[in-house]
Amino acid sequence: MSTATNTPSISTSTTLQACGVRKSFVSGRLQSVVLHDLWLDVRASELTLISGPSGCGKSTLLAILSGLQPADAGGVRALGHELGGMGMRELENFRLQHTGFVFQGFNLFPALTALEQVELPLSYMGLPKGVARKRAIESLDEVGLGPRMRLLPAELSGGEKQRVAIARALAKEPELLFADEPTSSLDSANGQIVIDILHRIARNHGTTVLCVSHDPRLVGHADRVLAMEDGRILSDHVPPASLSTTLEAKEPSA
Amino acid sequence: MVALARKTLIHEWRRFLPAILAVGFAGLLQLLQAALVLGIFGSASVYITGSSADLWASYPGTQSVNLGRPISEDVAMRLRMDPDVTKVEPFRWVDADWRGPRDTGGVSVFVSGIDPRPDGMMFSHALPPALRALLNEPGAVIVDKADLDSLGVNIGDTAAINGQRVRVVGVSSGLRALGGVNIVASLDTARVLDLDPAAAGMTTYFVAKLRDPSKAKMIAKRLSGQDTFGPYTVWTAKDFARQSQLYWMFDTGAGAGVLFLAGIVFLVGAVITSQTLIAAVIGSIREYATLNALGVGRGSLRKVVMEQAFWVGALGLICSIVIGALMLIIARNRSVPMELHPITAALCMALSMALAIVSGLAAMRSLRRADPASLLR
Repeated sequence: MSTATNTPSISTSTTLQACGVRKSFVSGRLQSVVLHDLWLDVRASELTLISGPSGCGKSTLLAILSGLQPADAGGVRALGHELGGMGMRELENFRLQHTGFVFQGFNLFPALTALEQVELPLSYMGLPKGVARKRAIESLDEVGLGPRMRLLPAELSGGEKQRVAIARALAKEPELLFADEPTSSLDSANGQIVIDILHRIARNHGTTVLCVSHDPRLVGHADRVLAMEDGRILSDHVPPASLSTTLEAKEPSA
Repeated sequence: MVALARKTLIHEWRRFLPAILAVGFAGLLQLLQAALVLGIFGSASVYITGSSADLWASYPGTQSVNLGRPISEDVAMRLRMDPDVTKVEPFRWVDADWRGPRDTGGVSVFVSGIDPRPDGMMFSHALPPALRALLNEPGAVIVDKADLDSLGVNIGDTAAINGQRVRVVGVSSGLRALGGVNIVASLDTARVLDLDPAAAGMTTYFVAKLRDPSKAKMIAKRLSGQDTFGPYTVWTAKDFARQSQLYWMFDTGAGAGVLFLAGIVFLVGAVITSQTLIAAVIGSIREYATLNALGVGRGSLRKVVMEQAFWVGALGLICSIVIGALMLIIARNRSVPMELHPITAALCMALSMALAIVSGLAAMRSLRRADPASLLR
């Protein structure tokens, strides 16, 4: 894209950028601003967590950053593409090629086995059947569901269903992975597993993982935490727990 | 490709069952209605379809076989002069009044005067040679087995037609008429029974056999349109049979009734089917939205819905074919007049499939609610 030259200052690992994003909703005669001219850079190989109370606009921000919703003003650049300039078809294609999603609800088709759930989007990407099957199995193995891939959603626990949903997103080998409240409907043990998997995906695959959650348990597992309130980002910091794990990881090499 | 549509259909068969049954019963209703109507109105042309003649010469503009007017005997000459015609035979139609031995009141009957020889063309499919031979006796008539009661006679009984004495010498089957009772007699007997002074020295139809029946259309055209032998028209047997059936179907209003009912069946079936399919789409709307978030285009999602509609249609059709075949067999055993041609059957099937497809299109619209942004709550 020609506009890529307009922003030479961004760091090489910045894959997702919000530039003055504004969004407001109209309900009746009232217009409420959800996002106030928001600026944000999200980097690859990191798990970025946007936390905040419900209604702070974090889900809307995720929807805009992932191209599911247009912003009223400002722009979103994802992987060097200006999302605002794309039509519906183009956006669908962009999402097909580059993004993965994990939602609070697992949204699995009741009729399909775990393996088929993961294969389904791959088949729409135009991958040959063999390749799609191989990738799906690898992804399910990666989330620890290899032995249970022939089961239907009804035969899986909540945590396992969410892992299938993650595998479904992961198998596409996306550069951008968006997760909306991925642990909200899970118990602590399963929540822990899920967040660990998301973290690992960021580290091992170099994926930009953007997670939105009000779950305080996640803060310690993120590489970067953005606290949001009333449509504004209040703080941007590296959580202490994550800092220590980073240090630990660096120690042997030092 | 993961067969999402089919797997969902199998897994959630209870959800789809109403749609399948709606298509199935709509198809069955169309089939049976068509078979019944064709069966009933097919008997309007039994004189033509039950005979082996290739051409029918009648008074010009005759709309149905029961409405023939006398034509000159000379027409037979004209037919015989044609090199392609191998045989010509008269057929006399007499509208008459029947008085049976039992108290049945007056019964309106249609007397068919035919050539009773074993190689006669009239009713060659409906009357075996032995039965035809019985007609040689003056005053002998044959009636349909199913009409014995309404005529109040048995084989061997005597009765009166137009005041003339006749004797029932045998019964046939498959010669029931619409709007009256068919009586078969020899040409000589029929002439005696015909009281119409205008019909003296005339006959109602001449039927002809051709050397090459496949040329019937061309020869009929060649023979028509000449008035030297008095007014007459020549039809091919097929055209005349269809003309008679259509006359009955539309003159009686039954045709319009059938079309109206077919429309209602289609509408009711489409409403049930589309509602079921819409419910199925709405039931999976979050999953569809997730696929859309992952980049699977709306076009592809629509295809899934249409595929589901197609399978619902196909399964429904199988239902209607199986039940329909069963009903037809039962009807045949009970001599209910039912007749189904492959083309009519195919048309009914196509209509049912169209019903499923229209319902699929309606269901497709509800995919608009598959908004991935709505999943972010």
